[in-house]
Amino acid sequence: MWNVIKKLSIGLVVGIALVGISRALEFPSIFQMMFFGQTIFGAAVFMLLDAPSIRTMSGAKSVIAIVVFYVVLCTVFVSGASLWPQFDPEDEKGKIAKILKPKLAATEQGKAEELIARVKALDEQVKALEVRLMSLGAGQAVKESPAVESPVVPKTAAAGDFMKLGEEQWQLQECYNCHKLKGEGGKKRGPELDNIGSYLTVDEIKQKIMDPKSFMAEGFEKDWEKGKMPDKFKDVMEPNDITALATWLSTFKNTSVNTPKPIKKK
Amino acid sequence: MRANEEGRRNIMRAWQRSLVAACALLLLFGGTAYAQVSGITPVEFSYTGNRTAVWIVAQLHTLFGAFILGAPIFVVISEWLGYRKQDLRYERLAKEVTKVTVVLFSMTALTGGLFIFVLLSAYPQFTAWFINQFHLVFAVIYPSLFISGTIVLYMYYYTWETWKGEKKGRHIALGVLLILIGMVTLFVINGPTSFMNTPVKADGVSPQDALAGATLWDKIANQTWMPLNLHRIDGNVAFGGFMTGLIAAYMFMGAKTQEERAYYDWMGFAGNLIAVGATLFQPFTGLLLAYEMCDYDFSFCPYMMADQLSMFFEMQGAMIGLMFLAINYYVWLSLKRIEGAEKVRMTILVPIVMVAFPFVMMVVMNYYWIPDPMSLAFLLPLVFAPFVFGRFIPVTVSARTVMKIGFLMVIVGDAIWLTPHGFAATGAKMLPELELPEAWGFLASMPAKISAMFTLVVITVFNYVVYNRAIRQGIIVWGKIDFTSQFVLIFLAFTSIWTMGLMGAVRSLVRKYFHTYGLVPDFSAESFTPTLSYSAWWITGITVVFFTVVSFAVILTLRPSASKNEVPEGSPVPARAK
Repeated sequence: MWNVIKKLSIGLVVGIALVGISRALEFPSIFQMMFFGQTIFGAAVFMLLDAPSIRTMSGAKSVIAIVVFYVVLCTVFVSGASLWPQFDPEDEKGKIAKILKPKLAATEQGKAEELIARVKALDEQVKALEVRLMSLGAGQAVKESPAVESPVVPKTAAAGDFMKLGEEQWQLQECYNCHKLKGEGGKKRGPELDNIGSYLTVDEIKQKIMDPKSFMAEGFEKDWEKGKMPDKFKDVMEPNDITALATWLSTFKNTSVNTPKPIKKK
Repeated sequence: MRANEEGRRNIMRAWQRSLVAACALLLLFGGTAYAQVSGITPVEFSYTGNRTAVWIVAQLHTLFGAFILGAPIFVVISEWLGYRKQDLRYERLAKEVTKVTVVLFSMTALTGGLFIFVLLSAYPQFTAWFINQFHLVFAVIYPSLFISGTIVLYMYYYTWETWKGEKKGRHIALGVLLILIGMVTLFVINGPTSFMNTPVKADGVSPQDALAGATLWDKIANQTWMPLNLHRIDGNVAFGGFMTGLIAAYMFMGAKTQEERAYYDWMGFAGNLIAVGATLFQPFTGLLLAYEMCDYDFSFCPYMMADQLSMFFEMQGAMIGLMFLAINYYVWLSLKRIEGAEKVRMTILVPIVMVAFPFVMMVVMNYYWIPDPMSLAFLLPLVFAPFVFGRFIPVTVSARTVMKIGFLMVIVGDAIWLTPHGFAATGAKMLPELELPEAWGFLASMPAKISAMFTLVVITVFNYVVYNRAIRQGIIVWGKIDFTSQFVLIFLAFTSIWTMGLMGAVRSLVRKYFHTYGLVPDFSAESFTPTLSYSAWWITGITVVFFTVVSFAVILTLRPSASKNEVPEGSPVPARAK
């Protein structure tokens, strides 16, 4: 018992000290809690080291002990994993559907699904008309009815906002994971792009997206040599989407941001 | 009575053989024939969904496969050691693990057959395409290897009693053949597996055109094939060791005599030692695999470690931290059963290096990043300093103090590993109140993670050096180990398998919304990154099913032989004489 009190006291003192230091260093409170939790966990480990031996078990006792141990392990592992922040799949589903839409449309399955969707929409229109006719009654003159609601058609680039499509591609292709733009994303994996429009034309940006080796950003020589920027975009993106992304990026001409100068390589 | 029992066992063996053969043939002909039929609509698996249904059977098959590939490596080494040292304990260990392996071979075949059928019914179009890409592998090479492996395993098992004495070398050679077949099987099946992540590609050519011009060898020997082979071989040896530890723990708990306890205590220690040896290399081979993946397509890297899967890596850090704590705790408990261990002292340089190591490595990694060999110029002298200069420094500390400082640094190392860039599952939702202050961002950097990983490895090595010093100066009393140690062995087996499941899920999810990355998109509604919590539920369920089957196999095969005459091992004798 003395062992437990001693180790717990040390754990609490160190934990509180760590919380105080991390608060002074402006760590967010969630990190302060994490440091405290790790200290208490450490104290528990040291309690275990000096804990007295447990008695040898056998027969049914040992079987029960094993089963209980497995139940505890399963509970700890599942609840431990559930405590971490969880990625919301809903954030991704819409993105993936948009990325795969042109690819699906090009397949037999996609064509068949599009036909089925059209047939369903027509069928619903017919049903709606039938209901309307029934409500008007037989023999009554058919007045001009308001247009039957057509199925929702998603707005596309062809329908209008080309810049919006470019911005959407930035999000869909997760360019923000490597490049900082408007103060967001990046983590210094790739060059900051707020002033890229001052250096490259739309066609040159397109060329860089389709062939990452065509330009090298100053200060990113090693990354360029290793081919860090994936050369997959020409295959995973539609030509129209690449143009939209390049056009949107070319509008960024913020000279106060130190976007590294691109050097033509091909 | 004995004849009846023998007859019953033979029927059992015949049943096992038939099951293995039937599954291999179904796999061969069923899969190939089904793959030729086009226009099949997928079956909808209720409750689990199609992706999770495939996940469950694939993971179970991988676990049983890992056991039957890892255990023979372990078994043959043990048999050879027994032959060389003329130590009957190694021989008994080898035979007992082989008995369990024979039973689990049937389960590998069963889950393999189930895997291919679930895959075919859930994703018929993709499976047809995939089988056609590797037709020779799936229709000829893999089934042939599996059947050859089955034949050699049964030969190895049934010739145990007849090929003894002068013929022992012949039996060990047969075991080596079994290992080779297992290795080739692993290498062959890793081809299609790694191909799904990193299919063949060429500069300036579309993925489809690159694939059209590729030979079967090009598809197999893709960029992550060899790293995956190394990671899995190493993982399978560790797996075999931890499972041996599990078997020993079960048998120790069920032992009736002190002699039995002494033997199973030794078996647990030996299994765990091999497992730890292999586990120490796991971070290196895992890093190599991740490095090659990121080199293939750099977008894998942020997806894994900074975005959708980042919390999976946090969980991995927690699990590996727990595993290393348990490994060192087992050494701590093992030290307690050595008479005279309290007199063992080590140079003070050992704890100094333990404390300094993570911080020195973090600095070195910032200047000389992997694979720059210059980092070794700083780190190797640091690690070897206690062994080279220790004798010239008169200040020493007790073995217990060294190990306690080691525990402290394992906790510190794991705390560094677990410090995330921010408490958000995706960079897109990062808020300032969840993010590490910029000045402390280095704690979440790769150099920090690598130094934490290496700290765990270095401290474990130091602790085994301490243990080795103790057995040279003291006497091991086998069977007198703290009973808690048996739960540590069970914990290690369960945790290592759970972690395998977690990282297997990561490797598979890295393909994002593709069945085969960049080549075959997954148009199904389940094409998204699942939550860590959802994944943890399934990984736990799969691990429990696997453990239930293994536990049943251990009870089935080893209980009747538990009371057979064995050499008494319980008497305390000098450790080096054993």
